[in-house]
Amino acid sequence: MATITRVLQVSTGSLSLPGGNIPFWGFADALRVIPQLPGPIIEATAGDRILIFLMRNFFRPIGEPISILFPGQENVLVRKIPGGPFILEPVKPQYSSGKIISFTNFLDELQDLIIEYSFIARKAGIYLYESGTNPEKQIQMGLYGIIIIRPPGYNNPGHPNFKTAYGTDTNSFFDVEKILVLSEIDSVMHNDVLPNVYYDMLKFKPDNWVINGRSFPDTVNEDNNSSQPYGSQINCRVGQRVLLRIVNAGLQNHTLNLGGFVGLVVAEDSFPLKTSTLDATYEKTSLTLGSGQRMDIIITPNASGEYYLFDRGYHHLVNNDHFPGGMMTKINVSS
Amino acid sequence: MPVIDLWAKDGYLSTPDGNSIYFWGFSKSETGPAQLPGPHIVARQGETININLYNTLTEPVSISFSGQSGIMADGQPVQPQYTDGKLLSFFNHAEPGGMVSYTFTPSFPGTFIYESGTNPHKQVPMGLYGGMVVRPADYNPDAREFKTAYGAGTDTEYDREYLLITWEIDPDMHQAVEEGKPYQVSKFLPRYWTLNGRCAPDTMLMDGLDYLPHQPYGSMIMGQPGEKILMRYIGAGIENHPLHPHGTHTRVVAVDGRLLRNENVDLSFKRFTVLVGAGQTYDQIYQWDDLGYTTQNPIPTILPNLRNMGVGDAGWTMWSGSPYLGVKGDIPVGVVSYNEFGEYYFMLHSHEELQITNWGEFPGGMMTMVAIYPSLSPAVGILE
Repeated sequence: MATITRVLQVSTGSLSLPGGNIPFWGFADALRVIPQLPGPIIEATAGDRILIFLMRNFFRPIGEPISILFPGQENVLVRKIPGGPFILEPVKPQYSSGKIISFTNFLDELQDLIIEYSFIARKAGIYLYESGTNPEKQIQMGLYGIIIIRPPGYNNPGHPNFKTAYGTDTNSFFDVEKILVLSEIDSVMHNDVLPNVYYDMLKFKPDNWVINGRSFPDTVNEDNNSSQPYGSQINCRVGQRVLLRIVNAGLQNHTLNLGGFVGLVVAEDSFPLKTSTLDATYEKTSLTLGSGQRMDIIITPNASGEYYLFDRGYHHLVNNDHFPGGMMTKINVSS
Repeated sequence: MPVIDLWAKDGYLSTPDGNSIYFWGFSKSETGPAQLPGPHIVARQGETININLYNTLTEPVSISFSGQSGIMADGQPVQPQYTDGKLLSFFNHAEPGGMVSYTFTPSFPGTFIYESGTNPHKQVPMGLYGGMVVRPADYNPDAREFKTAYGAGTDTEYDREYLLITWEIDPDMHQAVEEGKPYQVSKFLPRYWTLNGRCAPDTMLMDGLDYLPHQPYGSMIMGQPGEKILMRYIGAGIENHPLHPHGTHTRVVAVDGRLLRNENVDLSFKRFTVLVGAGQTYDQIYQWDDLGYTTQNPIPTILPNLRNMGVGDAGWTMWSGSPYLGVKGDIPVGVVSYNEFGEYYFMLHSHEELQITNWGEFPGGMMTMVAIYPSLSPAVGILE
């Protein structure tokens, strides 16, 4: 079993949205100049140890304590230099004068250099990592990313787990895989937030709806090196099994319509629905995901053409109140 | 091949508080009223249907048929439509004054939504939606074994069936469309919540009332003790609505028109509250068989003191004569009985309680009643 090591920083940056550019806070691979939304994808194989170093940013810190939560991972350990703990110990909520200030151990960039989180990636699946400090503010500001844990042998042709999301006999074999991270952005909040200053979240009123940090039509553009590096267009051929890994990183619920396709739900919150004793997979045309939830869906297009995948909450299909825009992307099926 | 004509046109819907709201809807004919929801489409698994959309509105309109495949428009597979490189419709549309002809063969039985695929952020909240029921290939309403939602042997037999479609109305946005003003979804703030296009208490009225010409479908659920009542929910709004019948539960047998069963494994589940999600459908079998009621074993009714039966002005009462499928008792002279046949009523509503108001006034909105009759005509609870 390997050890996957990633060094991350948190940085201020700029997002390009249909209404213009807005500031955001994002994760970045260390020493890369700009942060990104969603954060860098971290990939591992079940059984690997994942080591995440969160390093102080000397150049463009956000100006608040920062931390990372790993929902769905167990026994996360932490150590921190120079503030301690120096020996790995389980993460725990942090208090100040009896009041909770962080869900997990955090890095204070005024005095700490580096904090290390580590855990064994036990179960295959797709997971979020996100801020655990001032999360009502920091996650909306952009501090979330994706961890994919592969079953052993998934990249080994001939292995029964080859190209599966959850291993053999889980009905999760795929030809094409696409991660779709849903969220919404309040541009007013992004412009108004100040570090270490209370922001009244009752004012939260998102005006942009994004997949992988981009609004339509930017969603259908290719991956690139910008702060919104991940495209969302899906290209496949008739008869291929397309695995959609849908993650709701936002604060609101979203209903993704599968573009007229009927999808097979193979896992919810990274728990496969098919086991050796029960096949509980089921089919849907639209799926409602609550905040933080994930669904793995297989669609198998049976005819070539263009199809749109969109938020069935139709008021999210706009940019500046005009259709088309927002939380929408395209599936191109060739013959 | 069954041919269905749908005319997209405008009209005014009525709310119980006296409001009259401009809307867009589908009509069965050129001269008929726009309907909310659109006319029920009842199709049969494996039987090709042809749906002609005639557009009398001022912008293009299309129809998306969720859960169907192989949809053809004027002989070609449906495709997204663009104008100057910008997406206009998810599917082929009819221009204003024009028409488009869709053809497809439903390959699965179930409950589906049909709705506009053009400017859906506006056209669906304006009312361009309806429900489609696909009968299983072996459906036969005269043979119990074959009167099913999903085919013989799928444990979906039923005695009566009802379709309830949820939706919400922001009257300001409807007015903006009527007056040609900017339509700003960012200001979306619903003030009415509907079942089958009506707000309570109109939901409890009969189908096809003269004074609700645009809202032909009632939502009263009626049945007898022990009967299997098939309730089909469709979420046509852009919000989610938690519906439940008071004090009882349903068994969800299918979602989005797909049976919850993998070969021999029954995946159906029981729920008190079903969250009706936007654009999604839920088929449920509901049975009322509480308290061991039979016609031979009516639920005993203990009559309160006559003096306690009248409330307020003469003629008012909170007492119906029998609350509970019992033997009807005496009620004070001049007092009206609200359950003439000894039927038992309880509420089915959105548990997001703001939604059981009409613009904040309770009772109203997304609420109806379930009525269990000691005996009820088999002609009640038929979906056509």
